[in-house]
Amino acid sequence: MINFALEVGPTATPEAVMFWILAPIAVAAAAGMIFAKKAVHSALLLAWVMITLAIFYIAQDALFLGIVQIVVYTGAVMMLFLFILMLVGVDSSDSLVENIRGLRPASIVAAVGLGGLLVSLIGRATLGTDVVGLSAANSGGNVQGIAEELFTKYVWAFEVVSALLITAALGAMVLAHSSVIKSRTAQRDQSIARFRGASLANAAGLPSSGVFSRHNAVDVPALLPDGTPAPTSISKTLEARGDMLSSKPFELEEKEAEED
Amino acid sequence: MLTSPKLDYALLAPILIILATAILGVLVEAFIKQALRARLQLTISLAGIVIAFEQLYRVRNQGSSMAAITSVSIDGAGIFLQGTILVLAFVGILLIADQDHFAPQASALPGSIEEAAALESGRAQTEVFPLTLFAVSGMMLFPVATDFITLFVALEVLSLPLYLMAGLSRRRRLLSQEAALKYFLLGAYSSAFFLFGAALLYGYSGSLSLNGLTDAIHGGGGNDVFLLLGIAFVSVGLLFKVGAVPFHSWTPDVYQGAPTPITGFMAAATKAAAFGATMRIFYVGLDAAQWSWKPIISVIAVVTMLFGAIAAISQRDIKRILAFSSIAHAGFLLTAVVSLNQSGLAALLFYSVAYGLATLGAFGVVTLIRDSAGEVSDINRWLGLGKKSPLIAATMSLFLLSFAGIPLTSGFVGKFAIFSAAYESGNIYLVVVGVLASAIAVFFYLRIILMLFFADASNDSVSVVIPPLLTRVAIFLSAIVTILLGLAPSILFDVAQNFAYFIR
Amino acid sequence: MNPYVPILVIGAIGFGFGAFSLIAAALTGPKRYNRAKAEAYECGIQPSPQAAGGGRFPVKYFLTAMLFIVFDIEIVFLYPWAVTFDKLGLFGLVEMFIFISTVFVAYAYVWRRGGLEWD
Repeated sequence: MINFALEVGPTATPEAVMFWILAPIAVAAAAGMIFAKKAVHSALLLAWVMITLAIFYIAQDALFLGIVQIVVYTGAVMMLFLFILMLVGVDSSDSLVENIRGLRPASIVAAVGLGGLLVSLIGRATLGTDVVGLSAANSGGNVQGIAEELFTKYVWAFEVVSALLITAALGAMVLAHSSVIKSRTAQRDQSIARFRGASLANAAGLPSSGVFSRHNAVDVPALLPDGTPAPTSISKTLEARGDMLSSKPFELEEKEAEED
Repeated sequence: MLTSPKLDYALLAPILIILATAILGVLVEAFIKQALRARLQLTISLAGIVIAFEQLYRVRNQGSSMAAITSVSIDGAGIFLQGTILVLAFVGILLIADQDHFAPQASALPGSIEEAAALESGRAQTEVFPLTLFAVSGMMLFPVATDFITLFVALEVLSLPLYLMAGLSRRRRLLSQEAALKYFLLGAYSSAFFLFGAALLYGYSGSLSLNGLTDAIHGGGGNDVFLLLGIAFVSVGLLFKVGAVPFHSWTPDVYQGAPTPITGFMAAATKAAAFGATMRIFYVGLDAAQWSWKPIISVIAVVTMLFGAIAAISQRDIKRILAFSSIAHAGFLLTAVVSLNQSGLAALLFYSVAYGLATLGAFGVVTLIRDSAGEVSDINRWLGLGKKSPLIAATMSLFLLSFAGIPLTSGFVGKFAIFSAAYESGNIYLVVVGVLASAIAVFFYLRIILMLFFADASNDSVSVVIPPLLTRVAIFLSAIVTILLGLAPSILFDVAQNFAYFIR
Repeated sequence: MNPYVPILVIGAIGFGFGAFSLIAAALTGPKRYNRAKAEAYECGIQPSPQAAGGGRFPVKYFLTAMLFIVFDIEIVFLYPWAVTFDKLGLFGLVEMFIFISTVFVAYAYVWRRGGLEWD
């Protein structure tokens, strides 16, 4: 197996190259995520940030974290897209109206303040100190090391996580799934209705839409043998939406029929 | 080849039984007909809790810090809190059994035809039973977990079902859904804080366990920035769960919007679990660094007590009043935490039982006072209820007096124990503030009692419904315990004192 | 040899293949444009600019997505387990069996309650 990551130490040239290519892109994408007005664009940019981070993790010997980052965030970003599509729609943009006055400046100040504090404190605490214990932890392989911890020392927590997963599935069902209260008309019911109805005219099914060899789209009513259009051949929804075309222009003319 | 981990199944059995019962409940949801579910779920849940309690009673004198390798340490305080949570869950499930509080189909849009059809069909969202049990299993794990991974998993296992159940109220659906969303978003945020804090503490000590943390603090040489930030972030996560003041803002909204039995269960059992874990983290993990967190937690305790008591005065909705009252009680319990002595721990154990049962009882009574549109939580419409149904009004008054800490109720003994523990540890100012906050709180509790008994009925449409049998049992049990612990506190207090120890 | 050389080679091959395919298709493919080709569907009505409901999805997708996430998380645990399967021995197998069967309870519930049906 090729060890893609380099030994811990001063940043080696290839890693530096990768960093200087990817880091600006990641930061730009993160900034874009905040400033993009359309939620879909934000979600896409977030996905990009996540993938870049995954590459960084792998490059820094955290193989498991990198893989999990990709595996889980494909799901998470998909959820994000779904939430956008379900809640706001693809085309809608952020409203820039402040509901509570002064909220935006206050939150910017708070975020910058807390972020600055954390970055400066943690930066002061970590910069310039040596990395301890990484090579020991990764000695048997990064994923293997995590597996050993997870399935021996933290096996209890691991098993309890399954309770969390059941709760998640239960919750999704409770909040989003409507079980059918009145049974819908199934194919069987429709079939019975066709034969037990007043006439047997539709027993073989309704005519299908379109005019033969002229226009076979779903919004053009079929022509019956006597030349009249059949309104039952197209969907009621299209009719209600006003998308139904007239089948007149597509009728075969008498003259042509006689020539044949 | 790795050696297989050794788990002490006898000590873990109470949690395992609850988890297994919950999973059985999910299977019932999957494979049993709608008509039989509610009754079956109720039976299974209650039976599971009783069996778990019996097993807990059997191992009450055992203890081990290696119950699940290094993740769980079952000790006196842990067993007492697990027992408390099981008792509270039992009473809570008696209240939850009344399906009239829950939406017949939570996924139906409020006010839609679908919702009306679901109401008419007499369905019930019986998933609340397994969800409650999952929450209970998380609550039982939270106070006995001794490493940050297990603590975090337990925190999530207890929170996630509560977020869900907050949104299941049958009436005032939109308010309920709003409560669930708020609780979820803020809860997720605070969980992130907790996790971040745990990561920083790991960075400090190189160990995820509380013992390792203590050793690192004693050993010194770690990076104090990580320690301080870690303590701060972990505290934020915990203080959010208990509803202490800067992190309390979700409490009134969630208490008001959630179905009342869930509110009662959540208020009572979450407090016991979260304070148990807080106590263990501060006591076992961070005792050696108390110089860094004790002052700020003391300040938070002071602010929480005063804020809860003062803010409750202006409220008119009984569920919001009880929410602010629970904030004030969180302050009292924090006082017990900063005492950092054995009597503080004993007081906390006793208080969680006394407060929990009184809370369940009070919310149980709230479920009974209704008009045609459902529960009436506006206390101005409770005027003169004492004349219509003296027994219910008297029971409510009993619980309120217990919250206020009036002698001869369990609340008095609990508060007395906490204040004497604080006095013992030298935090005199906390005792002064605590007594002051209690005095302010007495004002609004008494006002409600006065409204119940000494005012003329203003609105005839409000009435007390005839309680369903199980609700009656729940309220009766809570009332009996509240009086009993007030008259003869030693029955429980001695037990609490015997159990008030942590195994490191 | 520099360990990054294989990555660069693979990247170059990937890029080269993409570029070659695009250019080759553009050069060799026949180009016959007419109006019907520009339509979204050659047989069927023109799609409206936005679907009914303002382009918003029904909440049903949420259920599918949540189920995906649940099993996604399960894979996160399966991955290190599979990598160290030999070392973990019997207890690892039992642990994973318990874990999977518990998660499977959730699956059974969703399946029995019709969560996997679309209608």
